[in-house]
Amino acid sequence: MITRTFSHLVLALIVFIWVVPFVALVSTSLRSETEAKTSGFWTAFTPTVLGHRFSTHDRGTTAEFVDMSGNIFERLNGEKSGFPVSGEVQSILIKTRIADPENPSKTKLIRKLVPAGEPLEVRGGSFVYQSNGDFTWTFPEATAPKPKKLDAFINQDPVFGADAYIEVLFDNKKVPNALISSFIVTIPATIIPITIAAFAAYAFAWMTFPGRDWLFVLVVSLMVVPTQLAFLPILQGFSGIASWATALNAWLTDCEINDSCQVASKSFASLWITHTAFGLPLAIYLLRNYIVGLPKELLQSARIDGASHLQIFTRLIIPLSVPALASFSIFQFLWVWNDLIVALYIGPNNSSDLVFPIRLQKQLGTFKDQLHLLNASAVISMIVPVIVFLSMQRYFIRGLLAGSVKGG
Amino acid sequence: MVQVKLQHVNKSFGKTEVIRNVDLEIQKGEFVVFVGPSGCGKSTLLRLIAGLETLTSGEIAIADKTVTDLPPSKRGIAMVFQSYALYPHMTVFHNMAFSLDLQGFPKKEIRARVEKAAKILQMESLLDRKPAALSGGQRQRVAIGRAIVRNPDVFLFDEPLSNLDAALRHDTRGEIARLHSQLDATTIYVTHDQVEAMTLADKIVVLKDGEVMQIGKPMELFNMPANEFVAGFLGSPKMNFFDGVLGIIGSEGNIAGFSGQGMALENIRLVSTEKKSGTTARLGIRPQHLELNPKGWLKGTVTLIERLGTETIIELMSPEKILFRYATSEQIDLSAGQEARFSFDIDKAHIF
Repeated sequence: MITRTFSHLVLALIVFIWVVPFVALVSTSLRSETEAKTSGFWTAFTPTVLGHRFSTHDRGTTAEFVDMSGNIFERLNGEKSGFPVSGEVQSILIKTRIADPENPSKTKLIRKLVPAGEPLEVRGGSFVYQSNGDFTWTFPEATAPKPKKLDAFINQDPVFGADAYIEVLFDNKKVPNALISSFIVTIPATIIPITIAAFAAYAFAWMTFPGRDWLFVLVVSLMVVPTQLAFLPILQGFSGIASWATALNAWLTDCEINDSCQVASKSFASLWITHTAFGLPLAIYLLRNYIVGLPKELLQSARIDGASHLQIFTRLIIPLSVPALASFSIFQFLWVWNDLIVALYIGPNNSSDLVFPIRLQKQLGTFKDQLHLLNASAVISMIVPVIVFLSMQRYFIRGLLAGSVKGG
Repeated sequence: MVQVKLQHVNKSFGKTEVIRNVDLEIQKGEFVVFVGPSGCGKSTLLRLIAGLETLTSGEIAIADKTVTDLPPSKRGIAMVFQSYALYPHMTVFHNMAFSLDLQGFPKKEIRARVEKAAKILQMESLLDRKPAALSGGQRQRVAIGRAIVRNPDVFLFDEPLSNLDAALRHDTRGEIARLHSQLDATTIYVTHDQVEAMTLADKIVVLKDGEVMQIGKPMELFNMPANEFVAGFLGSPKMNFFDGVLGIIGSEGNIAGFSGQGMALENIRLVSTEKKSGTTARLGIRPQHLELNPKGWLKGTVTLIERLGTETIIELMSPEKILFRYATSEQIDLSAGQEARFSFDIDKAHIF
């Protein structure tokens, strides 16, 4: 009982640790630029006092008046697009001259916060506002004053908007391009290794051939080769292939005419190959261990029923291995989707083909001051793996084998 | 007509010999049971016939065709596994149709054959279910149905009842017997349970350490065991054995005298015919064949009484400290510590 409570507590703590950054990311991306810049995400859900500058009326109005009335919120929301301001006005900051108490002949410039209901002198008139934003501006005689910009501190209701997303997605093509590039890289880099690995895993698990166990040990031991170690030879290999391809291109086509013979050594295909190569050992290992654990009788029964190895593989092993295939594809998808270093070294480097992690890294420079935009991009890049995980998760059903063999 | 023929079949895993020189002929329509203690090689022998294991030496023929080098699917056999081995992701229908589908039968015929098999097994209503939604007995039936649709020359059963509870086991045993007579199919059935062997078999093959101990009809094996192992293996409770010395052997060599344990007997069936007079031998008599007799020559002290309702089994200790049992259908009045004397019909005793 105590251990269960304890494990629940630990679980809750882990969930909390994981969820907080996510909430921070999402909430910041949905806030206005000012808010995101001036206050932390935890203030986003409660009313926050923030300064807003509004002008009393529109420029160029020449009509004379004795008193004018309006609403601070209407003025604010009329000027800006996006995040509507609502709440209550706490105070207005005013610069004013008062008689200097130390030097009676002179006046002194002071700043003070005027609370709601108290008149303040603006361009010779008396400006009175209420906390709901209504104000009246009264002059002794009819005048046509210039608009005055005033700073109001408003205890502002929480407000969220998708402006940052619209900006990163539609203002230019960088983020959409990165999204597409990431898909171009990730989907084949997940499907290719898992396909090869499934065949290999079946062979390692259920076919007998000389040297099988040693070959399997070799494959498993490849898991410890760090990616970084292989960068140089891989790059050399790809540039070698690229120069061959260039020569072949020059020989077979008439590309010399418009000087388009060059085949890039860093391309999506080189990323697919690299990710496949580095994903395969783990994939084979995981799938082999799963497939070898399938009941032997099932395969023998299929053999008696007359199934060939290929038929056993496609009609028995694949449907029964869906949980293992799903879990590996989640691993591989996440790893490739989040991969920065392989993409930097081996992926295409023209701006429109950059994958999402590289785009994010570049935005870190350009959007340093625009946290909401940066966070919006981050959320977009994050949402894809979340969808992938949630959609694959249902395949992690326990007891898929229930009912086939004893004890099931 | 011989349906299955095994000649000098040998199988070894590395240096371990699992099957030693087995010769066997199975007639068409016969129900043969391989029985023996665990590790005796009975399942291996079945798997050799199925083609799931390859022979080390020897030859197997099914329906007058040598199948030694053929894959399982070409041997004309169908097998029911101990663990059922149903395909968990397929419905009952597809489980049964799988082999026909692989052989490229037209859809219509597959449906007809599956439905016919389902009717025989009274499980038409289960065809759309997946194995997970079936009870143990139903899974067992699907496994049998999967064998029936293939219309094989030989049915192979590998301990098919050992995963069922006692009541269901009894019912399914009856069903298998009924099915066998209905289909008139040649059947090889592996079990470690002598009750299954005795009730189902036309012919029992008793195996021990990969060797055939005896082949014969159930009652033949029960009444005329060929050796001490078969005598001790079949029958419950086990046959009683008493050590002693072989007396004078009869002129035809098949009867002999026995002395020991305070007994001096003549004209008892001699099983171990190679033995010489005066050497040590063992007398075997089944607990059911003992008779309570105050003047009997076998004496014992009661150590344990098991009352099963239909039968009472009494465990006794002879003066020479040999444990033996007496079984009777009467509810006799004896208690632990009491002494009892027994006699027996010497026609039912054996000397090993």
